[in-house]
Amino acid sequence: MKIISLIDAPPDRLLRIVAFLGGHGVRRRLLALGFHKYDVIELDSRSIFRGPVLVRDLTSDTSLALGRGIAQKIMVEVIDQRK
Amino acid sequence: MTKENKFPEIIFIGQPNCGKSTLFNAIAGLKAQTSNFPGTTVKHTHSKVSYLGKILNIIDLPGTYSLNPSDPAERVVLSHLFLEKPDLIVNVVDASILGRSLELTLELIELGYPMVVALNMIDLAEKKGMDIDLKKLAKYLGVPVIPTIATHGRGIKELLETAIRILDNQSAPSSIKWSKDVEDRIEKLEKKLPSKFPVVANKRFTAIKMIETSKLYFDKMLKEVNPSLKKALDKTREELKEMHNAPAYEVIAAERHHLALKILEESTIVKRGKRVSWLEKVDDVIMHPLLGYLILLAVFLGFFLLIFEIGNPIEELLLNPLNSLRHYLLLQLGHSVYYYLIDGLLQGIGGGAAIVLPYFIPLLFLMGFLEDVGYLARAGFLMDTFMHRIGLHGKSISPFILGFGCNVPAVVSTRILESRRDRIITSLLIPFIPCSARTTIILALIAFYLGPIWALGFYVFSIILVAVIGRLISLFFKTPSPGLILEIPSLKIPSLKNILRKTFFQLKSFIEFAWPILIAGSVVLSVFQLLNLDKVINYILSPLVVRGLGLPQELGVTLIFSFLRKELSLIMMLQALGINYQNLLTIISKQQLVIFVVFINFFIPCLSTVAILWKEIGKKIAFLSMALNTSVAIIISLIVRLIIGT
Repeated sequence: MKIISLIDAPPDRLLRIVAFLGGHGVRRRLLALGFHKYDVIELDSRSIFRGPVLVRDLTSDTSLALGRGIAQKIMVEVIDQRK
Repeated sequence: MTKENKFPEIIFIGQPNCGKSTLFNAIAGLKAQTSNFPGTTVKHTHSKVSYLGKILNIIDLPGTYSLNPSDPAERVVLSHLFLEKPDLIVNVVDASILGRSLELTLELIELGYPMVVALNMIDLAEKKGMDIDLKKLAKYLGVPVIPTIATHGRGIKELLETAIRILDNQSAPSSIKWSKDVEDRIEKLEKKLPSKFPVVANKRFTAIKMIETSKLYFDKMLKEVNPSLKKALDKTREELKEMHNAPAYEVIAAERHHLALKILEESTIVKRGKRVSWLEKVDDVIMHPLLGYLILLAVFLGFFLLIFEIGNPIEELLLNPLNSLRHYLLLQLGHSVYYYLIDGLLQGIGGGAAIVLPYFIPLLFLMGFLEDVGYLARAGFLMDTFMHRIGLHGKSISPFILGFGCNVPAVVSTRILESRRDRIITSLLIPFIPCSARTTIILALIAFYLGPIWALGFYVFSIILVAVIGRLISLFFKTPSPGLILEIPSLKIPSLKNILRKTFFQLKSFIEFAWPILIAGSVVLSVFQLLNLDKVINYILSPLVVRGLGLPQELGVTLIFSFLRKELSLIMMLQALGINYQNLLTIISKQQLVIFVVFINFFIPCLSTVAILWKEIGKKIAFLSMALNTSVAIIISLIVRLIIGT
């Protein structure tokens, strides 16, 4: 399976987190907010002007707004083509 | 253990936005601030309640996602939890996101303190199609689980009864074991802890926290104090990392995560084919890449127009009797000492009631509404891009929006920001946000005399100014902002009771703290006028006031007093000019009015804001803020004067 950055992932598909590339501070924050490795997530919508992304963690059932810099450091794989 | 001569201490802990403060309020009355934005409670609130003949000391702590803090608000929780052992923990859990919320619950259970879980928003969970088996959940966790709906006050009796029962028999839960290989490593480290080691809660919890800690100074200190323990700790971390191919803290977080998911799976049935609720559809529109911004703009415009449309007629209605009364007084008493004193008193009381409150109350109410619906987090998401341009990110939107109500809680709420850099920039910008006091001035002078469109323009101008100053300040910081990680809570139908409560609570604090200052200020000005002291101050200030700003010399003294309360300068302005509100334009031009408002609006933050800046961010920043605001006020007023003339 191809591993891509969350920022390049297609919206409205099921994705799985495979790695966090960020520093420890960001990783800990994401863990605390319920974003763990191997969780199934979904890119919800994108904002215009290349703003933050909205991500829904289906495993933990939480939504987060992530700045693009942070979303870039989350590596995912697409686990299905159509929801 | 219940301390002697002390009431049993019960602490409320939960993840942000789990309804903890609402539950706390329902029990304690009007104490904690609540909203639908993660992290409104940023400092703890105490309250004593009496139930079934027992007095309980209950404490509401800021919301925290875990016991590994990453912002100053979360640190408050830890210092409280670790320094003083509570007699009971009430863990408030958002039932509708049970899986994630249980991770904190499991961490709290590791402490081994007596505990009860308040499974809040159980109605929301049911609506989502979740069927939670309470008995099973309680059995897995080893602590009682009480379903509650804090907004309706449901389940509170049972919660308090259970709390008292646990306090009486002091039954504490035992931690739930993780995978054997991880447990083995923890146990090994636990055994290495020397007998005099400052253990928090219990040895297992201490060992886990040592593995998890991100504090370099802890590792450094341990290396100095006990090199062999430091070696054992490093070995444990290394082993965990090798086994799981992830940093040790991630291994531990994953253990809790899996355990939480397992408990969720075994205690909860989620019915398939849940319908998309209408709130989710609304959410799609609010967060829409294009419509979202139009709605944001509409909300912003609607917010101020509504406040003006409500406040304006009430203001006019109340001013007439006030003016007749003052006129009557003058006829009766003439220009005597009594007249000055009573008139000062009357201007303070009447000005507060007729000019300030008509705008202040709708503002508080609407602000409470936006908070409780969950719109603030969405505004944070939408505004992130804009905030990046001024060197911050979307999370700072919440302190800014709170700043429109009052700058003081806004500065306190910067605690939700993880980096000090973001806190400093946000705190320096907050005093440029027109708070309710300044909104009153803007509405009462600009909107009333020049029309609401001008007032709106004034707001837009303030926001542009915040952006420009933010951009300039961030040039002084080399490190970039760490970026946005913000939870977006589900939209909620707000409870009218909760909003009214909040409005009342803030109104009460205005009446108790701010109004007396308004009244005292008016009386002092009256005395000044009687003794001709105001003329001395006005003379000293006249180079700035008359030559610089082109305002009547009499207004000098009111600028000084605006440091106490911003509304004070509005009320004192009328008093200083010796004129009724309705006849203001007979002695001051519209241009002068604009310059006066511009200056007052951006001038030195009020005393309370300076005090809170000093306390929260530091002395230097407080002084910097005063200097920054004063220079900006002077520069902007001069530019405005050049443009519009006087």
